[in-house]
Amino acid sequence: MKIKQWKPWAFVMPALLAYLVVIVAPSLYTLRLSFYNWNGIAATRKFVGLQNYRYLLSEDTVFRVALRNNIMWMIGSLTVIIGLGLMFALLLNRRLKGRSIFRSVFYFPYVLSGIIVALMWTWLYHPSKGFFNVVLEQLGLGAWAHAWLADPRTALAAVFVAGVWQGVGLPMVLFLAGLQTIPRDCYEAAIIDGAKPRQSFRYITVPLLSETFVIVFATTLVNAMKVYDIIYGMTAGGPAQSTQVLSSWMYYQTFKLNNIGAGSAISWVLVFITMIVIIPYVIYTNKKSHL
Amino acid sequence: MEETNYTASSKIINYLILACLAVLFLIPIYFIVMTALKSNADLAKYPVYAFPEKLQWSNFSQAWAKMSIYIRNSMFISAVKVPIGILLEALAAYALTRMNFRWGNVLFGFFLIGMMVPFQATLVPLNMMINFFGLENTYPGVFIIYIGFGVPFGIMVLRGFLRSIPKELDESAFIDGCGELGKFFRIIVPIAMPAIATLIILDFLATWNEFLLAQIFITKDSMQPVTAGLLTFQGQHSSNYTLLSAAVLLSIIPILAVYLFFQKYFVAGMAGAVKG
Repeated sequence: MKIKQWKPWAFVMPALLAYLVVIVAPSLYTLRLSFYNWNGIAATRKFVGLQNYRYLLSEDTVFRVALRNNIMWMIGSLTVIIGLGLMFALLLNRRLKGRSIFRSVFYFPYVLSGIIVALMWTWLYHPSKGFFNVVLEQLGLGAWAHAWLADPRTALAAVFVAGVWQGVGLPMVLFLAGLQTIPRDCYEAAIIDGAKPRQSFRYITVPLLSETFVIVFATTLVNAMKVYDIIYGMTAGGPAQSTQVLSSWMYYQTFKLNNIGAGSAISWVLVFITMIVIIPYVIYTNKKSHL
Repeated sequence: MEETNYTASSKIINYLILACLAVLFLIPIYFIVMTALKSNADLAKYPVYAFPEKLQWSNFSQAWAKMSIYIRNSMFISAVKVPIGILLEALAAYALTRMNFRWGNVLFGFFLIGMMVPFQATLVPLNMMINFFGLENTYPGVFIIYIGFGVPFGIMVLRGFLRSIPKELDESAFIDGCGELGKFFRIIVPIAMPAIATLIILDFLATWNEFLLAQIFITKDSMQPVTAGLLTFQGQHSSNYTLLSAAVLLSIIPILAVYLFFQKYFVAGMAGAVKG
């Protein structure tokens, strides 16, 4: 069956055009802008080479905070969100009444927009009327009550807790899907051989879930790099820049301070880090699909 | 891992842990509902988690006055974006999986790279482009941007499914005189309906929840979708928590409806999508 060579291109073209116009060309143009000094309005831009990048790395203290916060968010996601997701999946991977209700409850926050989650949790953290402080006071722990989002020391952690609430559902669902592909015979054989539950987990579940782990790690890392809505909605990077992340700082540099060059450089740092994470993943899945 | 290697007591413990976790997870929702149903006077007098003395439904009607505009905007954006986007993605995925052509695999890799480009890296040039064509605060501008951003994910999801359809179907359709478009619409699309349905739901939610692009490209209040609109709303009523909670609940309802209605597809699709 021979297909004329122009035909596939005709099918691909509309999507390809949209993709080129909206993603490829603009991001390459942003790369170019990152080598210039420009305020977004002036007719002239000054080519400055790598100076924007050098400025970010050596002088911009907020950039450093933002990068550190992204890394902290990443580490937190990799441990807490994936850990809890796996735990929920293991708890739910048994025949039990109301299983689908539990699954819905844990997964539902994931379908909410970051802005809705942010508004809900900002209210939960309200200094005098919010849920956490009111409960602490009722428990006689009023001394622990705290302006969680207004204190630079607790703000990021407070936002992250909301992020965990929102994010646990995704790894849970992926792990559940992975667990269901493991044939039950494996466990039965292991029991006959005298394996304890913990050994079954260590020697059957974990190795057979390895593919799922790769997917979960990749999506979690990328989500951690891109985190924006929830932070913008809850603290907008404050107090005192303590919750700034790369994407919010990029927004701020570009659209508030009109430093297009520096903002573009930040977004390419973001692209670069994301690529380091994703390229091995793409190679891995491509290899797998050619087998 | 079924019950075979577990005792009854471990099952009960498992159940209890799940129940406690579920309660913890529902607290924020409960808290918002309780707030939304109170008057401001009630809120000042009683602890927030207490039931309201009298249900204050006017919070909802008051919030609806503004939120209904945002909800309608979001619905309109999704109703146009989702079908057009998926049609383009399906055509491309069809060519990439079922018309063996040079560069096909390279092209797929090229599309995949798009998944790792954060929105941020495109904002300034997109803004310049939109201004250049006079598309600021117009829906066509929004549609072009949203459709473009949906392409990589949509192609990835559909490609995974289309690859699993046996090639013999194409051949027999070809013998029966079907052209490529005929094969696409009469054979592939109907078979791929489960995958397309999944993608419709995922795409609807992604469009509904999108915030950053809306924040930049839709600055006119009367055109804003729910996400950007909610923030404006919060700005105007930043200390009116009963009203804000009612607004949050109103904007959750459409998502909740979609979620509950398509739940089966949804969770399967999310798992399947990433497995490719």
